[in-house]
Amino acid sequence: MQEEIFISGRNIPNIDPVLQVWHFPISLYLFLGGMAAGIIFFASLFTIMRKEKDFPTTVKGAMLVAVIAISVGLVALMYDLTHMFYAWQLYTTIRLESPMSWGAWVLLIVSLLSFLWVFSYSNEMFPKWDWKFDFIKKFQAYVIENRRTIAMILLPLSVILGIYTGILLSAFNARPLWNNPILGPLFLTSGLSTGAAAIILFSKNHYEKHLMTKIDLALIILELGLIIHLLMGMAAGSAVQIEAMQVLVNGEFTVMFFVFVVILGLIFPAMLEGIELMGRKIPSIIPALLILMGGLIFRMVMVEAGQLTRYLY
Amino acid sequence: MKEKKQKNRHVYWNPYFGGFLLGILIILTFYFTGRGLGASGALKSGVVAIVHTVAPEHAENNAYYSKFIKEGESPLNSWLVYEAIGVLIGAFLSGAITGRLKLKVQHSPKITGKRRIIFALAGGTLFGLGAQIARGCTSGAALSGMSVLATGGFITMIAIFGTGYVFAYFFRKNWI
Repeated sequence: MQEEIFISGRNIPNIDPVLQVWHFPISLYLFLGGMAAGIIFFASLFTIMRKEKDFPTTVKGAMLVAVIAISVGLVALMYDLTHMFYAWQLYTTIRLESPMSWGAWVLLIVSLLSFLWVFSYSNEMFPKWDWKFDFIKKFQAYVIENRRTIAMILLPLSVILGIYTGILLSAFNARPLWNNPILGPLFLTSGLSTGAAAIILFSKNHYEKHLMTKIDLALIILELGLIIHLLMGMAAGSAVQIEAMQVLVNGEFTVMFFVFVVILGLIFPAMLEGIELMGRKIPSIIPALLILMGGLIFRMVMVEAGQLTRYLY
Repeated sequence: MKEKKQKNRHVYWNPYFGGFLLGILIILTFYFTGRGLGASGALKSGVVAIVHTVAPEHAENNAYYSKFIKEGESPLNSWLVYEAIGVLIGAFLSGAITGRLKLKVQHSPKITGKRRIIFALAGGTLFGLGAQIARGCTSGAALSGMSVLATGGFITMIAIFGTGYVFAYFFRKNWI
């Protein structure tokens, strides 16, 4: 018998003492959402700076990837919901204190605007495509004219989207591993870095690749710093935080976290990018794929490990 | 030919210096992990993990595989696997730094790349089988064994390199 669990009231299946409600689709969604936020951030930044010509992949191909990533991510998110058909109710209200509300609205606007963005570039990306009707062509011309305005709206929204993927977790105050303020910036940095990696993966333009590699390297160093910050912050916390940190440092997810996220997903690709920037030839697909893999495993580890951590009695 | 040799001279380290570093590395390995190096162990763990995933019953009933399967613990969670990942990373970095990162098959000009691959695969398979019978390969049994003055280590070393010398005669045309 498990009397102590019954009496303490902490035996709610799937919720207490261990949460078991978020699965792989959530990690996938957080990863794809973060990556898309990163791509959209760079695309709108370069458009506002009037540098679209120098970054053709960022504003065209990568934005198409971002739109696909958001769509796949949303399908994954819906798939994981128990009450899928109540999701529309998020759009009946705006709650500034709820990350979920922020995310739902920002995601809606971002995906609509990104669709428009890709639509505005559709003729440049697929020259043989013809929109047949005049009113569509007129609308496209209108969107192309207002692309910078779209970029100005998308730039802050992409940052919010990137932070939201982390804040969504840290809003769970009952899960000590999630409930810390570093998670938002950490997920944003990781999202920007995976976005840059996705651009590098598809880019054929040398200048674009080189600059994105530089940016990505800086972001990885920042991300490593934030991870150290996260761990040290927890180590300096209460017994609850220290216990929660053990899952990553000396527990079930240590190997996943340190081998696949920190070493193979951050340090090793950073070294490769560094060597590449020093002028050696490295197939840029290798660091880019490693970073993307590291980003996905990072989300998986954080989602799974966070659900295991809990407040002590 | 000679010019090429001259050009490639400094691409690789001096083998004696490399061997010296390997010796230092073994001391550090014993200090940090409490055991020696290994190369074939990682592959064995990989094979055991795959067999255990695909056919768990067969793996658990098999006299050989069952030795490496523990309840609730992945066979991949062993120091040799991480060491092998590290070796791959290190080799890749060294290739990247010296500009040797290219997909190619190294072989003597007298044979084709295909022949080299077939012979390498056959030799590697035999060596893998032998390593499991001998309970360790050049690094796991001979090198780590000899560094703790184990008799088995010396015997393995003599056996590997002795038979190597003997059989090299029959396969020398593949290289010279």
